[in-house]
Amino acid sequence: MKRMWKKYMAALMAAVTLSVTAACGSSVGASDVPVVPSDGDVTIRLNWWGGDARIKATEEAVKGFEKEHPNIHVETEYSDWTGYWDKLAVQSAGGNAPDVMQMDELYLAFYGSMGSLLDLDKASKYLDLSGMDAATRAMGKVEGKQVAAPATTAQYGVIVNNDILDELGITLPDTSRWTWDDFERVAEQVTERSGGKYIGSIAPNNGYGLQLWARQHGDALFKGNAIAIKPENLASFLNLPARWAKNGIEGSAERWSENTAAALNDSDFGKGTQAMMITQATMITPYAQAAGTDNMSLVPMPQTEPGAKTMYFKPGMYWAISSGSQHPAEAAMLVDYLINDKNAGTILGTERGIPANNDIRTMLAGQATGTDRKALDFVDEIRSTVGKAPAVTPNGASELDKTIVRYQQDVVFGKRKPLDAAKAMIAELQESIDFNS
Amino acid sequence: MSSFSEFGSLVKNRHKPKDKPTDTKVALGFLAPWLIGAVCLSLIPMLYSLVISFTKYNMIKPPQFVGLMNYRHMLADPRFLNSLAVTLTYVIISVPLQLVAALALAVLLDRGMRGLSFYRSAFYLPSMLGGSVAVAVLWKMVFGSDGLFNAFLGLFGIDTSMSWIANPDTANWTLIALHIWQFGSPMVIFLAGLRQIPRELYEAASVDGAGTWRQFRSITLPMLSPIIFFNLVMSVINSFQTFTQAYVVSGGTGGPSDSTLFYTLYLYQQGFASLRMGYASALAWIMVVIVAVLTGINFALSKFWVHYDD
Repeated sequence: MKRMWKKYMAALMAAVTLSVTAACGSSVGASDVPVVPSDGDVTIRLNWWGGDARIKATEEAVKGFEKEHPNIHVETEYSDWTGYWDKLAVQSAGGNAPDVMQMDELYLAFYGSMGSLLDLDKASKYLDLSGMDAATRAMGKVEGKQVAAPATTAQYGVIVNNDILDELGITLPDTSRWTWDDFERVAEQVTERSGGKYIGSIAPNNGYGLQLWARQHGDALFKGNAIAIKPENLASFLNLPARWAKNGIEGSAERWSENTAAALNDSDFGKGTQAMMITQATMITPYAQAAGTDNMSLVPMPQTEPGAKTMYFKPGMYWAISSGSQHPAEAAMLVDYLINDKNAGTILGTERGIPANNDIRTMLAGQATGTDRKALDFVDEIRSTVGKAPAVTPNGASELDKTIVRYQQDVVFGKRKPLDAAKAMIAELQESIDFNS
Repeated sequence: MSSFSEFGSLVKNRHKPKDKPTDTKVALGFLAPWLIGAVCLSLIPMLYSLVISFTKYNMIKPPQFVGLMNYRHMLADPRFLNSLAVTLTYVIISVPLQLVAALALAVLLDRGMRGLSFYRSAFYLPSMLGGSVAVAVLWKMVFGSDGLFNAFLGLFGIDTSMSWIANPDTANWTLIALHIWQFGSPMVIFLAGLRQIPRELYEAASVDGAGTWRQFRSITLPMLSPIIFFNLVMSVINSFQTFTQAYVVSGGTGGPSDSTLFYTLYLYQQGFASLRMGYASALAWIMVVIVAVLTGINFALSKFWVHYDD
C-alpha cells in the first residue's frame, strides 16, 4: 500500500510542478489589442471601492455614458476598501481584471510596474488628460508611463467644528500663517476648558500626513525606491499621538487608538465631540452631516514655517485601464467621460475628492453651497503654499498607512521609543520595497 | 484522513482476485464526489502551496524559485515571532478555561434539572454564533470605551472609560473571553459523555461514603478522560486557526500594536495585502508543522491521564 501511495504522490508532484512551469511561461496578461473602437456591441467592466453615496452617483454617471454610447454596456462592481484590493489582486492573477478600475496612489506603482495597466498615451485619441494641472497628471506616471488618470485631488487641511469653539469661548489665531504650536495651544484649551467633554484633535496617521510632515521639515519621504526621510523627522511624527495623549489634546492613548479605527459616524469628530480634525478638505461635508451641524469651517494646515511651499495636491483617486482589456478604446472613452464630462461632473460631485479637471471644479464651485463650496474654494485658498509634487509611493510600500498606525501605536503604548520605532519602520519599509523591486 | 486510507485500501484491493471488480468500481463511483473535491480542491492546492513556498510570487508575475529564502526570512521576522507568541498565549489560556467552563456546566446540567433542554440550547447558542462576523462586531462594541462591559463595571462603582479593544494590553483578552464564551460545543459533547458513565459507580461510591467532590474526581474525571482528550485536541487545533474574530475586531490589522496579530491573520496579510504569496505559503506550512507537533505532544501526554475503559 505504501508503494502505491508513493506512485500517486510522485504523479501528483509532477502535475503540480508542470502547472507551475506552465505558469512561468505565460506573459503578464497584456492583451496587445489595438486601441480602436469596435463596430458592434461591447461590454466593459468598471470596478471601484466606496460607500452607498458613491455607488449611487457612479451608477447614475454610467447610465449617462451608456446613453451617449448606445453600443457600449458597462457592468459595475464595487466593494469596500480592503475587499477591493484582495479581489483586484486575485482578478489580476487570473487575467480577469476589470477593464476600468479605480486606483489609489498606494497601489499605483505596484500595478503600474507589473505591466497590469494600459499606457494611457496609447489611448490619447479617446482620453483627454489636458484638463488637469501638469503636476497632477504627472502623479499618474509610473516608470515614465501614464498608467492612470487622476480623477480627483485631495488637499489636507484642518476642519474646525465652530460649535465647540464658540461654546468654550475660544477664537482661532490667524490660520493662514499658524504654526503647530498655535494649533496645539488651541487644541489643549478645548480639552481643558471643557473638562474632557470635548477633545482638541487627533494626530494624523497616514502617508499623506507623513509626506506633508516630512516636507515641512525640509525632508522627503521617498527618493525613488529609497526611504529618504531622516529618522528624527519620522520619529517626531510617530511621537505625535503620544505627545497629544500626554498633553490632553486627544484625551488618552486609547481614545486616539479607538478613533483611528472608528468609522466616521463613531469617531469623536463625527459625533461632534472633537474640535478640530486634520484631514482631506472634502471630508467636511460627511463630517458636518454626521455631527449634525453646518457650523464647520476649513482652514489651512499648521506649518513649521508659516507660508512655506510645502503643500501638494495628492491625487485622491485615479481611473486606470487594465492592460489585458479586450476593449481599451471603449474603456478609455468611459474614463474620459467620468473625468471630463460636465454631466458626469455634476453627478459625481466632490464625493471622490476635488475633481482633477479644473473646468469641472470651477463649474461645481459655481453651483455649490455650504460645506461643499468651502471644500472647492479651499483649493484656491492654499494655492500659494503648494510646491512641487513628490514621487508616487514606490512599489512595495502599499501598506504604508497601516505601518504608520502600527508604529504610532507602539510609541503611544510605550512599546518602543520614538527613534527606535522610526528606525525599525524605515528598515521594514525598505525591506518590503527591495523585495518588490 | 481515514477516508484517505480507505481510498488506499480500495486501490490495493483492486488487485485481489477474490474481490468482484465491480464492487470496487461501484465504491469508487460513490466516492467520486468526495474524491474529486478532495483531490482538486484540497490536495492539489495544498501541494501547489508547498511548491509556492519555495518561490517569490506576487500573484501577477510568475513564481520565481528562491530555495529556502521564505523559511529563513521567518527567523528574522519580528512580526512572525510576535504573531506566534500572540497565538500561543491565546491557545494556552483560552483552551483550558473554555474546557473547564464547558465541563462545569455539563456537570451542573447533568443533575437532571428541570428545563434541561432549554438550558442546553441556550448555552449552545454562543457556539453557533461565536465564530460569526456579527458577534465579532458586537464584541467590538461591548468592549469599547462606552460599551456594555464598562457599563457593567459601573454597576460595581468601577467608573472607567477604558477601551478594552483599543489597548494592546487587554485586546487579546477580549478575544480570549470570546473564545471561552463559546463553550457550548464541548459542553454538549461532555454531556453526552456524562450520560455514558454507569450510575452504579456513583451509587457504590456513595454507599462507601464518597462525597460529591470525591465522586467527581475518582469517577467522573477518569471515566470522562477520553472525551476530555478529544475536546482538548480539537480545541487546540481550532483555536490555533482562529481568524475571523481577530480580523473583525482589529479591522484586519491585528492591532493595536500587533497585540491581536494571530498567526492566520498575519499569514493573510502577507499573502493578500503585501502580496507575498511565497512567504504566506511558507507560513501556512510551518503552521501545519506546529499544529502537528502540538497534537503529537497532546497524544504523547495522553497516556499519563487518559483512561480507556476496555
